[in-house]
Amino acid sequence: MDFDISPNAPTPIYRQIVEQVRRMVASGQLKAGDPLPSVRTVALHHAINPMTVSKAYSLLETEQLVVRLRGVGMAIADAGGTSPKRDKLAMLRPALDAAALTARQLGLDDAAAMALFQTCLDQLPLKDDHD
Amino acid sequence: MTSPAIGANKLTLTRENTTILDAISIDIPAGSVVGLVGRNGAGKSSLLRCLAGLVEPDSGSSSLLGCPSLELSDAVRARLGYVAQAPDLFEWMNVYEHLCLVGRAYPTWDEQRCLVLAARFELPLGKAVRELSGGDQQKMAVVLALAHDPDLLLLDEPVSSLDPLARQEFMRAMFGARAEHRERTIIVSSHILTDLERVVSHVAFMRRGALQLFDTWDAMLEYLRLAPVDTVVPDKAIICRAAGAPSMVIDIRHAPGAASAGKVMTLTELFAELNK
Repeated sequence: MDFDISPNAPTPIYRQIVEQVRRMVASGQLKAGDPLPSVRTVALHHAINPMTVSKAYSLLETEQLVVRLRGVGMAIADAGGTSPKRDKLAMLRPALDAAALTARQLGLDDAAAMALFQTCLDQLPLKDDHD
Repeated sequence: MTSPAIGANKLTLTRENTTILDAISIDIPAGSVVGLVGRNGAGKSSLLRCLAGLVEPDSGSSSLLGCPSLELSDAVRARLGYVAQAPDLFEWMNVYEHLCLVGRAYPTWDEQRCLVLAARFELPLGKAVRELSGGDQQKMAVVLALAHDPDLLLLDEPVSSLDPLARQEFMRAMFGARAEHRERTIIVSSHILTDLERVVSHVAFMRRGALQLFDTWDAMLEYLRLAPVDTVVPDKAIICRAAGAPSMVIDIRHAPGAASAGKVMTLTELFAELNK
C-alpha cells in the first residue's frame, strides 16, 4: 500500500497519513493484521521527514487503531479490540461541510447540489462492504 | 532537560551602522529540522555564519551541541556539516581527489557512504572541480557536508541551483545515511518553500535581522489563520498586521473564537503575509 500525500496542502502531513489510515480501516480496505509500510519507506518515497511519519504512526497507536509488532513494524490492530468503531458518516461530514459552504457561496439551490453529489458518487464504483 | 542542539542568546551583529542581526534568541531542540526563511538580506546567512563561529557577533552568544560557537572543540567540529551559500572548493582537483582530501579531516568519514552519495547525485568523479556546473558544485558541497554522518547540519541555501529531482534526492539524503537511532539536527535556509514544507519540523521567519516567528510547522498550520482586519481578537493573538492590508495573521490559540474567521495558509502564503 502507499499513502497519498500532498506536502504542500494546508493539512499537516502527519494528519493526512492519520486520516487516510482511519478511512481505509473504516472502509475495510485495511484489515486487522495488515502491515503499514515502514517509516523509512514512506519517508524516502515521498522525500519527507521520517519524524512526521513516526508522529502519525504514534498517534494511530495511541488511538489503538494500529499496533507495533516487535521486529515487524506497524500493523492494523485487531478490530475486535478496544478501539471503538468509528462512525463512517462522521468521517464524511467535514468534506460535506466544506462542499455545503461552497454551494451556499455560489448560491446554488439545494436540489442541484444534491444531484451533483449523486453524480459524483455514480462516477466511482461501489466498494464491497467488509462489515 | 537537555541543552538545545543550537542555541542563540541576543545575538547581535552590526556592520557600518547597519543592524545585520538584531538580538536573536532561539533554542533549537535536538532532532529538529528548521527551515530558516526570509527575504534577501533578512540576515539568514549572517545568522548561520555566526552560529558556525565564522563571524564574531558584536554582542550576544551562540552555541552548537553545547559548545560556544567561537570556541568549537575538534570533537564538536567533527560532528558538524556546513554548506555555505557559495561553495568554497579546490578547483584544481578532480571530484574524487577532493572528496578524499576533505574526508581525511574527519574521523567518522566513510568512503563508501561518500561514494554512494556522490552516485545518488550523479557527480562525475573524474572531472576537474573547476569544470563542474554550478549545480554540480553545489551537489559536491552537499556530499562533503553529509559524508561524515554529522549530528548537526547548517545549510545555507544548499539547493538553490539544483533541479527538482536533485532536490528530492537532497531531501532524502538529509535523513538517510544515519547510524541507527542517532538524531540529526538541521537548520536549512531556502527560498524554495514548497520543498521546505516536506521536511521541516520547525520554521524560523527572519525579517530585517530579527527573528519574527519560530514554532513547529505543524502548529503554524494548525493555529495560524489569515483573518480580515476587522475580526475582533485580543492583541496577543495578532502575529502580523501590515498597515493598509485587508487581512492579518492571527494565532487562534489566543483567540479560539476566531478559528473559523480565517483561512489556513501554506508556507508560501504565510511568507508573503509576514513580509508585507
